[in-house]
Amino acid sequence: MKFFARLRSWLKWIVKRTPLETAMEAELRFHVESIAEDLVHSGVPPQEAMRRARLQFGGMESHKNAIRASLGLRLRDELSMDLRYSIRMLAKSPSFTAIALLSLALGIGGNTAIFTLINQVMLRNLPVRNPEQLVAFGDSIFGGVAGGIDLGGFGGYFPWDFTRSMQTDPGPFQGIAAYGSFSNKVSIRPVAAGGTTDASSPAILAPANLVSGNYFSVLGAQPLLGRTIQPSDDATPGEGAVTVLSYHLWQQSLSSDPHIVGKSIAINGTPFEVVGVMPQGFLGIKQELEPTELWTPISMQTVVLQQPSMLTAHSGLYFLHLFGRLSAQATSNKAELARSQNWLNQQARNGIREREGGTLSADRQLGISRVNVPLVPAAHGVSLIRSQYGESLKILMIVVGLVLLIACANLANFLLARAATRKREIATRLALGSSRARIVRQSLIETLLLSLTGGALGLGIAFAATRVLISVVSQGNSYIAMDPAPDATVALFTLGLSLLTGILFGLAPALAAARTGAARNLSVGTRTAQSSGGKSARFWPKTLVTAQVMLSLLLLVGSGLFLRTLRNLQNQDYGFERSHLLIAEVNEKLAGYKPSQTAGLHQILVERLSALPGVRSVALSATPPISGGTWSSSVTIPGYTPAPNENRHSVLNRVSGRYFETAGISMVAGRPFNDADSANSQKVAIINQTLASHFFPKGDAVGRSIIIDIDSVKGPWQIVGIARDTKSGNPRDVDRVAMTYIPLAQIDPYLPADSSAAGANGVAANTAVRRENQDCFAYTILLRTAGDPAYTIADLRAAVTSVDPNLPLVRITTIQDQMSNFMTHDELISSLTSLFSLLALLLAAIGLYGVMSYNVVRRTNEIGIRIALGAQTPAVQWMILGESLVLLAVGVGLGLPLTLLTTRYIKDQLFGLSSLDLVTFTVALVVVSMMTLFAAWLPARRATKVDPMVALRCD
Amino acid sequence: MGKQIDLLQGTLDMLILKAVSLGPLHGYGVLLRIQQISGEQLEIQQGSLYPALYRLEHQGLIASEWGESDNKRKAKFYRLTAAGRRQLQSETEKWNRMTSLIASILRTTPEEV
Repeated sequence: MKFFARLRSWLKWIVKRTPLETAMEAELRFHVESIAEDLVHSGVPPQEAMRRARLQFGGMESHKNAIRASLGLRLRDELSMDLRYSIRMLAKSPSFTAIALLSLALGIGGNTAIFTLINQVMLRNLPVRNPEQLVAFGDSIFGGVAGGIDLGGFGGYFPWDFTRSMQTDPGPFQGIAAYGSFSNKVSIRPVAAGGTTDASSPAILAPANLVSGNYFSVLGAQPLLGRTIQPSDDATPGEGAVTVLSYHLWQQSLSSDPHIVGKSIAINGTPFEVVGVMPQGFLGIKQELEPTELWTPISMQTVVLQQPSMLTAHSGLYFLHLFGRLSAQATSNKAELARSQNWLNQQARNGIREREGGTLSADRQLGISRVNVPLVPAAHGVSLIRSQYGESLKILMIVVGLVLLIACANLANFLLARAATRKREIATRLALGSSRARIVRQSLIETLLLSLTGGALGLGIAFAATRVLISVVSQGNSYIAMDPAPDATVALFTLGLSLLTGILFGLAPALAAARTGAARNLSVGTRTAQSSGGKSARFWPKTLVTAQVMLSLLLLVGSGLFLRTLRNLQNQDYGFERSHLLIAEVNEKLAGYKPSQTAGLHQILVERLSALPGVRSVALSATPPISGGTWSSSVTIPGYTPAPNENRHSVLNRVSGRYFETAGISMVAGRPFNDADSANSQKVAIINQTLASHFFPKGDAVGRSIIIDIDSVKGPWQIVGIARDTKSGNPRDVDRVAMTYIPLAQIDPYLPADSSAAGANGVAANTAVRRENQDCFAYTILLRTAGDPAYTIADLRAAVTSVDPNLPLVRITTIQDQMSNFMTHDELISSLTSLFSLLALLLAAIGLYGVMSYNVVRRTNEIGIRIALGAQTPAVQWMILGESLVLLAVGVGLGLPLTLLTTRYIKDQLFGLSSLDLVTFTVALVVVSMMTLFAAWLPARRATKVDPMVALRCD
Repeated sequence: MGKQIDLLQGTLDMLILKAVSLGPLHGYGVLLRIQQISGEQLEIQQGSLYPALYRLEHQGLIASEWGESDNKRKAKFYRLTAAGRRQLQSETEKWNRMTSLIASILRTTPEEV
């Protein structure tokens, strides 16, 4: 109660200050006058009475001050006074203030920008109930369909029947749900009231994800409108045409229709009922760069994926990821968590045994008993962005932190120098009765004012910088799961960082200011006062500069290593020609083509495109020479007996006639495909060097045959040529990859008759109807051009439109852009670390220059005397240069071991060079030395220009 | 005027509360009242009176109001609040216990130990 009374009274004083001050004045005056009156009564003349009363009462102001102090108002008054004083001081030296604010804004802005991304990519929890209970089963980062090969375990992928049994019996888990391991693009069209699809309106392409019926309930996510997908929707394969939309899709493409629930949209031509819309922050458990826009039950897989049913027992197709919600006990208790883990491993092992059936060899039994499916915490969701950029972002955070430290060291130095010139002022204030605490406080207020203003500016810089960073990361996608706008966490981070920065660079100068002795500094000349500090006064500036040299060296080496890594990645031998090549993604399937129609389409496309001006050759293929997704299978060579568990894996590509010429892949032996390799001729294949040397070490590959273990393209194919090895995926992979190429024209548009009867597929298993082969589509157009491929883009579009206006060209890139997509994070980290290390170098140079110039000014007297006594110019110059060389030597001496220790931690990020790369270290050392010499040379020159007469007369 | 006694540390607040408990007073009146009750033996430092008054008001132990003084002039009058009355009571008890205790200690003769 007392506390509230005080608070109320204090607030009253803050708000109604002026009237209360007036009242106080009146009360005190009344008191004095009352004394005077009493004196008059006792016979003192009025004039004299008033004088005596005033004398007796004492100074009015000191009474008022005592009252204010008793109310706790003094602190506030003093603070506001200090603040005004600080603003005046900063305004008086605008150039210092501008430099300080700029370096702070850049330093804090850089930190905030990187933190914004870290916050979004790594720290934010999923917007669901108790996210800490969610765990992914195994590595769910990548997506795809795997099949036809022995996985040896489930990995992060699971077949449909297994996920079904896990959903119905979640064991110690609160629930287990499944979802498609990838979100594939589907075409969406609104459905008119009559139930007919409006074919004339353009379709939207959006990523859709298949989810189990309990996906939303296990995730604990609530819809914004309507309901989520329920177990009953996903009960029967082929039924349950319902969909839940993302907020973004609902807002952007359906104009936030409030009555959308209950309406239908056509997904890949099939009407689906919209049952709900998710809130804005919800992107699903799997957070991909291009966020999922709609969710449909797994039961609708054939429509959504446009592929034959995978929803059969023992389909052998692994395409789903699983996640579970741990029990509350397992979240906090390790033993309970281990129990859940054991249960899951047991289920996986049983699943494998059941799948393989029959009696298993002892070896295999042992192998199976070792299968583990690790529980991976998924409170932040499962994210490819996080695994790709997480490490880079951590490194960048450290880099920007170091840059800020260097900026802090600079500011501390500037302020120390200023404190020295302000010694007289401080001495005067001390002599006039100011307390040391007050002086320290004023000094800290000044630095906090700087750092907070710098922080506010930094927030603006960060917003702009984050936008740029996101646009680099987004690789041209217009809508991605990152947002440059700072949230409360980021704002708090920036505020905290600004305060910390202010204290960091303000503390030393403030303490130095407080150490000033009053009497001594008033009695001597300013310049003498500055130089009187001796060694101890010069210790801090030098230490700070040494630290800057150290950190600059570290940053330069780091950025050098990353730059060379990027160059190594780019300058590798990729095995194909990396210029004058244009790549376009097409989607024949979404345009409505049947596999049997592709042969005709491909022929027309190649003809039209070959006729374009400036185009040397044209080819179609499933995937570009380098791509993220691959088509692969194990292969069998007739007459070759593989060792048990031998890796017979090969990446596959189906290509049109002039693929090797167009992509610039040279042949090592045999011949490339040509127009004679048609549907009616002998089936032929081309393998790469790795595959050839693995299966045909004697070099007799050409003429032999190869069988691909996928029914749709089984073969046998006769090998007619060997192509050079190419890097077909991640440029960092050094393992050689086996590849098999087959001609598009020779792939049968229908599946072999016997295979359709083999499985109890959801589709009518009528052998009379031949099922179509989905592996005939080409998804990539390659153009080799005479000139800059970018100029051919418009012609390419026009030509494809002239063939079929509905054929969507999803993306057109040059081969360079296609490859740089693989190196985005290498480019990002190398360019940002270079940028920041240059900034650090600049700051360090400014710092060194500042300290050295200040030293020269401080020692003007001494230098003047030396010159008057006959010191020669080189000697004076050396005196100053020598001092900075010592700083450089100490900085490098300490920085080199520090750098050697630190670079070990980025070893995994490097490619083609060691973390102790000699070239990088040498260049960094030379650059730091040059910087030091340059920054010291100017002040040294100035020292030689000192006129002894002026210098000695000065004080 | 007899010999004056300096005020013991911390007792001024108590005396002010006592003075205004007898009826509303302005600042000068508080000064006079205390001197008067003490038989002019106690003099309060001018400098400490007003800070004490403002502090007590700040703590909600006394309240103030502008009114008219004896000589028809505007003055600020202080009166005791309910909280102030409780405070005065507890302070008085504490003081009495303390003084009797100290007095008994000071009375002690060597034989009693």
